Amino acid sequence: MAFFKRFESTIDNGIGRRRFGYIVLGLIILFFLWFPNDSSQSNYAKTVFISGFFYAIMASSWALLAGIAGQFSFGHMAFMGIGAYVAGLIARDGIVFATLGIAISPESISAIGAIIIGTLIAGLVGLVIGWLLLRLRSAYLALFTIAFSELFRIMMLTEYDYTGGSNGLSLRPLLQIADVDTARQVEYYLMFGLLIVCLLVMHWVANSPIGLFLRAMREDEDAASALGVNVVRYKILIFVFTSMIVGLAGAVFYSDVGSERIIPEQLEVLQMSLIIAYAVIGGMESLVGAAAGAFISRYLLEATREVVIALPLGLTTSDGSGAFVWETGAWRYALFGVIMVFTLRYMRNGLLHPIITWFSGRDLIMQETVSKRKSDDDYDDQPEAGDE
Amino acid sequence: MSNINLAVNRVSKRFGGNQAVDHVSFSVTKPELIGMIGPNGAGKTTLTNVMSGMIKPTSGAIYLNGKRIDGHPAYDVTRAGLGRTFQITRALGRMTVLENMMVPGLAHRPGANRSALEERAREILALLTIEHLTNEYSRALSGGQRKLLELGRLLMLEPSIIILDEPFAGVHPRLQETIYQYIHRVHEDGKAIILISHDMGAVFELSQRLLVLHHGALIADGAPQDVKSDPAVIEAYLGHDEED
Repeated sequence: MAFFKRFESTIDNGIGRRRFGYIVLGLIILFFLWFPNDSSQSNYAKTVFISGFFYAIMASSWALLAGIAGQFSFGHMAFMGIGAYVAGLIARDGIVFATLGIAISPESISAIGAIIIGTLIAGLVGLVIGWLLLRLRSAYLALFTIAFSELFRIMMLTEYDYTGGSNGLSLRPLLQIADVDTARQVEYYLMFGLLIVCLLVMHWVANSPIGLFLRAMREDEDAASALGVNVVRYKILIFVFTSMIVGLAGAVFYSDVGSERIIPEQLEVLQMSLIIAYAVIGGMESLVGAAAGAFISRYLLEATREVVIALPLGLTTSDGSGAFVWETGAWRYALFGVIMVFTLRYMRNGLLHPIITWFSGRDLIMQETVSKRKSDDDYDDQPEAGDE
Repeated sequence: MSNINLAVNRVSKRFGGNQAVDHVSFSVTKPELIGMIGPNGAGKTTLTNVMSGMIKPTSGAIYLNGKRIDGHPAYDVTRAGLGRTFQITRALGRMTVLENMMVPGLAHRPGANRSALEERAREILALLTIEHLTNEYSRALSGGQRKLLELGRLLMLEPSIIILDEPFAGVHPRLQETIYQYIHRVHEDGKAIILISHDMGAVFELSQRLLVLHHGALIADGAPQDVKSDPAVIEAYLGHDEED
């Protein structure tokens, strides 16, 4: 503790916490840029990281929607699925609007074109859902989006002639690289780049006047409206924006970058719950916190598939080994549940919140405010009157 | 002086079988200090909600500076120049005091320079004696400080008409004095203020004109000394068991 205090004092008197935070962030980014170049790392490890980047986009965009804008939606995976399925169907079947006389053959649509269309359609559906949700709050909003999400999943499962049903749908590969190692490396950088771009854009939104209005809306929609905020506009805007982000992430990830096909199982409520859990553990009011929570959680879920337990007191297993290998299976999710319960009970702003607060210097500002208001708190106000 | 022209024409609001506001008409055309009083359940807050766009009237029309605003969303009414506070304060809890001030500032002037708005916000907070709480989360503020914050947010909107709903309720006398000063200053700046309060002393001391509501209807509209002796007002306050 004394060492930390000395360290804290050195930083505060030196470069300051914010600058130090940027240096740490820079080092983390450098690590991720270096990682695939490390020859000792397997393609499996890179695949785990690619998956982590994808879930980081999912969790951070959900944090923007629910944690910052206060729209507690369960429809996030469905919007991701819309982006992926639309991109896959368009690349396979082309676009035909007989009534408008439009017919575009699949051959003339590139993988990137299909991803863009998938992203736009996800945004369009987000626009419709956002409009339908205008008057729904809290539990009703959550229930509506669960229903929408399940409806979409069942559609994808049932219409197997078009979607491949439970076998899933293969999207047109975004990259055509023959060498597996090179392909994995490029896929890694592609997904990492997408995560960085998405985080930067979301960070810009969250710190712009729009972000301020979204937070005001989260706190009290009526008060925000009375202060001149067009709540309807920003509610729809954030649904469209986050739907497009996850639609893009889904379309890219399933274009053989992170996975070779999208399956309806990915759209289950359980998967959505995992996204929420990642964001809650990392900190649902912080984009970086939610992204880090998702990445670390994904990594830990993979790392704990098998746990080696050394047996004490010279005990051995039947095959003479001094260690017992526990294949955790679904139990790792149970452990994950315990972490989430702990987070919600004791650290509601996420496990990473103290670190983010420290780097932001928010606690210093608070200390200053406390000392300033000491002289002001020599009286108490009476309780407020009830509403008429 | 701001352009002031508010016309409330036969506005009614019914909730099921309850006529909360009953054909109320009045107008405000100059920077007056208007008190709005009435017993509990008289319809003061409902009328405020209708005027500020929080709820739609059942019938009637409201014009603000030539624009019809009844039924318009609250943000539209606010931008048209009518600002309000709430009887129970509605501070944006997990946002700092400065952020609370910036929301109306940026909503009212989307393209404005952010640091200039922050400067303006700090000036207002200093006027309201809560400058030292600028970086505090508003959920940590006392009831009285939240009232002051609401008053400050209104100034960021630069409205021509302000409705203050129970600004003195539950506020420490020291902060009440600050609110008094605020009301005088805003009035001197050329804004019209409609003051709703159960604190009769404050209402009669501050108001140049009184509106009295009873069972949703406007039963008196005039100078405080005339309203005080109005038989309908006396009956409303003294004639039934529901007086304050």
